[in-house]
Amino acid sequence: MSQSDAVIDIQKLTKTFGKVRALDGLDLTVHPGEVHGFLGPNGAGKSTTIRILLGLMRATGGQVELFGADPWRQAASLHGRLAYVAGDVALWPGLTGGQCLDVIGATQGRVDQQRRASLIERFELDPTKRIRDYSKGNRQKVALVAALAADADLLILDEPTSGLDPLMEQAFQQCVRERRQDGITVLLSSHILAEVEALADRVSIIRRGRTVTTGSLADLRRHTRASVHAVTVEEPEGLANAAGLADCVCERLDGHVDTRFTIDAEHLDAMIGRLHAARIHTLTVTPPSLDALFLRTYGEALDGQEIGETLAEAAR
Amino acid sequence: MNARLEEARPPRPSLGTMAGIVWRTHRRGIIVWVVGLAASMVGTAAGVAGLYDSPAKIHTYAEAVTAGSALAAINGHVEGIDSLGGVIQDEFGFLASFLLPLLGIGLIAGSTRREEESGRLETILGGRIARHQPALAALIVATAAILVTSALFATGLTLSDVPVSGAILYSAALGALAFVFAGFAALLAQLVRHARGVYTGSLIVLAAAYVLRGVGDTTTNWLTWVSPLGWAEKTAPFGNQRWWMLAVPVVAGVAFGGEAVWLAARRDVGSALLRGGSGPAGATRLRRRPIGLAAWLHAPATVGWLAGGLLLTGMMGSLAQQFLDAMSGNSALGDAIGISGGRPLDGFIAVTQLYLAVIGAGYLIQAIGTLRAEEAEGRLETRLAGTLSRARWLAAHAGVITAGLLVIVACSSAVLALSTAWSVGNPDEVGAVVRAGLDYLPAELVFAGLASAVFGLWPRGFGLTWAAYAVATFIAFLGPGLKLAPWALDLAPTTHVGNPPLATVRTGSLAALAAVALALTLVGFVAFRRRNIPRA
Repeated sequence: MSQSDAVIDIQKLTKTFGKVRALDGLDLTVHPGEVHGFLGPNGAGKSTTIRILLGLMRATGGQVELFGADPWRQAASLHGRLAYVAGDVALWPGLTGGQCLDVIGATQGRVDQQRRASLIERFELDPTKRIRDYSKGNRQKVALVAALAADADLLILDEPTSGLDPLMEQAFQQCVRERRQDGITVLLSSHILAEVEALADRVSIIRRGRTVTTGSLADLRRHTRASVHAVTVEEPEGLANAAGLADCVCERLDGHVDTRFTIDAEHLDAMIGRLHAARIHTLTVTPPSLDALFLRTYGEALDGQEIGETLAEAAR
Repeated sequence: MNARLEEARPPRPSLGTMAGIVWRTHRRGIIVWVVGLAASMVGTAAGVAGLYDSPAKIHTYAEAVTAGSALAAINGHVEGIDSLGGVIQDEFGFLASFLLPLLGIGLIAGSTRREEESGRLETILGGRIARHQPALAALIVATAAILVTSALFATGLTLSDVPVSGAILYSAALGALAFVFAGFAALLAQLVRHARGVYTGSLIVLAAAYVLRGVGDTTTNWLTWVSPLGWAEKTAPFGNQRWWMLAVPVVAGVAFGGEAVWLAARRDVGSALLRGGSGPAGATRLRRRPIGLAAWLHAPATVGWLAGGLLLTGMMGSLAQQFLDAMSGNSALGDAIGISGGRPLDGFIAVTQLYLAVIGAGYLIQAIGTLRAEEAEGRLETRLAGTLSRARWLAAHAGVITAGLLVIVACSSAVLALSTAWSVGNPDEVGAVVRAGLDYLPAELVFAGLASAVFGLWPRGFGLTWAAYAVATFIAFLGPGLKLAPWALDLAPTTHVGNPPLATVRTGSLAALAAVALALTLVGFVAFRRRNIPRA
């Protein structure tokens, strides 16, 4: 897929508020039809990036393209092709949920009334209640229904599940998957890793206004370690000096050998061979979770540039 | 894929969509403003027409108010005063100077910066609405509301037998006045961070416009021509009509509004040109206590109302001698401005103190309304989640609000006393003037009692308190002049004070007012302790 086909193409984006540098050379590319996870800790610049992408704020420097056009100049016409859920959902306290859906719908390209009705049912939303009487989670649902009901090509969701209970989170994930099957693109900003892991095809991780790493989840996992738990009949040979292996604990339990270790993805295959030679009884391989990735990226007290180098090394 | 998307693109939503959203989300407030304002203006005009039903009576009135320049400073210099329309314009002079600009400011502040600071603007702009359209739509809806108000007023004037062309020009001039301030508020909404700032800035400009017009009408004529209030006056609807003067406020309003729309298209959403810097990392010991936090919360509003009180009393006091001169030259003047019998100076002080009482009551209602906002915006829950009891929280606020009232009334009365003494060159009245101000305290506190009772029993209906305030103010200002029935006059708490220092204050009445205030406050306390929080 060539660069020009990208739904979102951001390069070297900077944004300053007075002396504060909120974005410092951020890159983000989102291709058609993918769910793109946009990850970063609080204050990393996720919402600022989204506001620039929506033409609500003007970039200080760098290049921003949405559907191949400048979002600042063509905000209103571009918005006909997207639907947006703000990080802080603010609605009119005096209107009912249904009235709010209509008001937001009036600003959107086209609303699929049938889908809207079914979404209201799936999210168990009472559209006759006034916004001031809704709980925080229910207000969030109004915003989600409005966005998911729109016939858009792109969904921009800024921390969409804050305030939702786990059941509703499931319903939300199911809805997003269905929309992806319809071929639409999703930019999902979040710091809830499980959610990104459950939905995203590709992920960009940012920190202090810069992109630290980007790639498919599979790519990112390749650069991290899987944890392995094996129970074998005989003691596996050559564990101590095996390439890419660490944290190895090996002990005898009930006549079997119980082994736990972590290993680089690229050396996994060779290691399984050795385990096989020792006659596997049970074997569990846990792929690296996004949590591990995230914690590893941020756990080290390094600034953005050093993190980038570390990741580059890890990739090597 | 892009090609498919191009085909699917539906027609672009127009400015009309955005105007529809503004109307849909603000229609209740707009209707209340328009109907309330038009009804009270038309009602007053009918009342005035009923009172001045012969050319002789109108002539006497005209003679009275044109003697001396003091009244011109307050109500404006009315050209063609010797006509029914002129009398109405003069009677309206003071109230219209504030109500119509407030109409424009209120309509705009609510639908621009308030939407932006709440984050709702971001939701709207996430759709196919261009950045400049919300501000433009707010101006369009406000202009429509102003036009309807003007049309209703013109109809009412015509029904009261005011000549049609004068009625139309006067209504249009008042509408144009509201429009200028709507445009100015729209511009301010692009520059400041909170809706509160839009109100503050616009009201400061309004006060300046009032002073310019007042000085211009009494001494330096050209100053009137630079004040928006002067633009309305100079159309001279009942004198030698100047229709072209309407163009000045319209052009100014369009210029302000155009600048606002231009800025809205070019700035970051949520940004403000004028904003505060960072603050201290910790709260002082005082501010950690309920009373300290309450004081911090109410301080800006207290300062604002105090400034209004000082401006009023300072201006009136310095004009005292001119009033006396005018009244000694014409006995009918006293009747015209609601002063009859007794010493003219006392009558003058009494009128000013009544104005001040209305300022004090307005402060109380607004301050108690902040408590409602604390609850509606969820901060009250956080406050009460700790060891702080409901009664203590409310008592701290009640104490701070009452102290604020005392400061406003005492300082303004002192300024009135001193400026009057300076103007007439005689300090004998200082004590009596201040005492008259303090006599109004129980009546003012009745409004506080009403507000706290509503806050305790039915917080969502807090708007009712403002409606009661508007009715009471209307009765207090215009009731005696319109010769309303005694029962109607008695509806306003200020009536029961007894008009000090002109007439003797009945101590029993003051005690009764204080008892009513206390009883209502207690109702509020008890109801607040028993009810659900938050009650939406």
